[in-house]
Amino acid sequence: MSRYGMALDYKNCINCKACEVACKEENGVLLGADKHRIWVGANDVDGEWPLLDIVSATFMPSQCQQCEDAPCQSVCPTNATYYDENDVVRVDPDKCILCSYCMNACPYDARYVDDRTMTVDKCNFCSDTRLSRGDTTTACQNTCPTKVRTFGDLDDPESEISELLRTREHFSLKAHLGTKPKLYYLT
Amino acid sequence: MSETTKTAEAVQEQSFIAKAKEFVFTIPVNKVSIKDLRDFEKTPRNNFIAVLTLAFIAMFVVGVAIYLSQGHHAYNVTREHPWGLLIAVYIFFVVSSTGLCIVGSLGDVFGFKDYELIAKRAIFGSIVTILAGFAVIAFEIGHPVTMLIYNVLSPGLTSAIWWMGTLYGIYLTFMIIEFVFLLKNDMKMAKIFGLSGLLVGLAAHSNLGSVFGFLNARPISNGVFYPTYFILTAFITGIFIAFIIMGIRYKNVFPEAVKTMLTGLAKIQALLLSILIFFVTWKMLTDIYGGMPNRADVALHILGSWTFWAEVILAMLIPLIVILKDYGKSHVLLVWVSLAGMVGIFFMRYNLVHDTQLKPLQMMKIREYQLVPEWIHYFPSATEIMISLGGVGLCIAMYYVGSKVFNLDADH
Repeated sequence: MSRYGMALDYKNCINCKACEVACKEENGVLLGADKHRIWVGANDVDGEWPLLDIVSATFMPSQCQQCEDAPCQSVCPTNATYYDENDVVRVDPDKCILCSYCMNACPYDARYVDDRTMTVDKCNFCSDTRLSRGDTTTACQNTCPTKVRTFGDLDDPESEISELLRTREHFSLKAHLGTKPKLYYLT
Repeated sequence: MSETTKTAEAVQEQSFIAKAKEFVFTIPVNKVSIKDLRDFEKTPRNNFIAVLTLAFIAMFVVGVAIYLSQGHHAYNVTREHPWGLLIAVYIFFVVSSTGLCIVGSLGDVFGFKDYELIAKRAIFGSIVTILAGFAVIAFEIGHPVTMLIYNVLSPGLTSAIWWMGTLYGIYLTFMIIEFVFLLKNDMKMAKIFGLSGLLVGLAAHSNLGSVFGFLNARPISNGVFYPTYFILTAFITGIFIAFIIMGIRYKNVFPEAVKTMLTGLAKIQALLLSILIFFVTWKMLTDIYGGMPNRADVALHILGSWTFWAEVILAMLIPLIVILKDYGKSHVLLVWVSLAGMVGIFFMRYNLVHDTQLKPLQMMKIREYQLVPEWIHYFPSATEIMISLGGVGLCIAMYYVGSKVFNLDADH
C-alpha cells in the first residue's frame, strides 16, 4: 500500500523524447501520433531565424497527472476507471464501454483509445508492467538521460520524492480545478 | 409448506398470468399487413417521403455495416474531439422525446382539455424518438453490451452518463405503459404513469445536460446552464414536432379543435422562445465578459460560426416572429416554420457537442513540425452522416407503422 507520485525537474528536459519511446516500448503502446501515454510539450521558440531566442525554448514533459480527485474516475459510468491499492488511477478494459466521457472530462488530454481492445487507455505508472515485476521505477524515469523524473511513495517520508518535495518549490498543472494531481513540477 | 398453501399460491399465480395475458390481448391494435403499409395516398409529396425514408434506412444499414467492420475508425472522432455527430444526433432524438412527453402530458397529466387530442400521438412520438436515439447511440458507444452488464454490476453513481442512461431506460418503460393505458382509454392510470414518466424524463434529460455541465475541464460548458437549458429546449422541440405531426395528420387542413390547440401551443412556444433567446444572450455575454481564458475566446469563436447563426435564425428568430405576427394563427405556415425549426434544433445539438470540445486542452506542441494547437477541427465522416440520417429514417418508419397499427387520434 503506497501512494505513488512523480516529481519532474522539468527545466532539465532536453526534449530527446526517450521517455516517450521507452513508454511505448515497455507498455506496448501502438504506434501513431495520437497513441501516447506520455508526451513532451514544447513552446515555440521566439524570434526569427537566425536571431532565435534559445532561452525561450522550454519543454514540459507530461502525462496522466494521477489526480487524487480524478474527473475521469468520477464520470465513468461503469467504474472502469478506478484507484488501485497504490492510489494509481487505472482502467479495467473489461468494464470500459468506450463512451469516451473520460477523454472529454480529463483536463490534461491524458487519455486515448487503444485500438487493440477498443477501450480507453492511459498512463498507470507502469503498474501492470514494471511495478508488477518488482521494479521500483517507471520506464520513463529509468530512461531519462537528464534525470527529470523521480517516482516514488509520497507516504514514505524517507523516499527520494518526499525529500524533493520537502526541499524544492513545486507546482501542479491546472491545480485550480481541484483535481489534486500527484505529478509535481519542481521549480 | 402445506399442500393447500402451495395449491392456493399456484392458483393465484395462474390467475395473475391470466390477467396479464388478458391485459395484453385487450390492447386495441389494428391488424396490419405489408399490403396495408404500402397503402397510402400516392401524392408526389407522400411518395417523396416514402422514398426518402427507405433511402435513409438503407443508409443506416450501410453505415452500421461499415462501422461493424472498421469500428471508430469509420468516424472522424479523434483523441481531442472524442464526441462527434452521433452524440449530437442522440441528444437531438432524446430532446425530441422529452419534448413530446411534456407536450403529451399537458392534456393527460395536467388536465388542459385543449391538448388532450395530441396526447396519444405525442406519447407515441416520444417512444419512437427515444428508440431512434438508442439505435444511433448503440453504434457510438464502443461496447453497448458491456454497458448493459456493467451499468448494473458496477454502477458509477457519480457519473452523469450513468444516471442519464438508467433514467432514460426507466422513462421509456413508463412511456410505453402510459401509451398502453391511453390506448385502453384508462385515463386515471395513464395520468399516474404519465406523471411518473414525465418526472423521470425531466430528471434524465437534465442529467444529460449535466453530462456537459459537470465538465470542469471545459469552462464553456461547465455550470448550471445546460441542465436547465436542456429542459427548456426540450419543450420547444416538442412543440415544433407537435406542429409537424399535426400538419401531416390533417394534411394542413385543420379542424377547429386542432386549430385551437395549435394556437395555444404557438403562444406557449412564443413565451418559451423568448425565454430561450434571453438565456442564450446572457450565456454569451457572461461567457465573453471579463475575457476569461478558455471561455471568452471560445464564445467569440462560436459567435463567428455559421452553425450558431443557423440555430439562432431557424430555431429562435423565425418561429418567434411568425408566431408574434398574428398570435399563432398561421397554422400551416407554422408547420413549415417548425420543420425549419427542427433543422435549427439539430444545429443547436451539434453546436453544443462540438463547441464543448473546440478548445484544445494541450496548448503546447507535442510533436516535431506541428503547428501550435489552435482550434479543434471536426467534420463528420460519411458513415456518421449515414447512421444519423438512418436514425431519422427509422423514426419516420416507426411512426408511420405505429399510425397504422394504433389509433392515435383522440377518442371523442
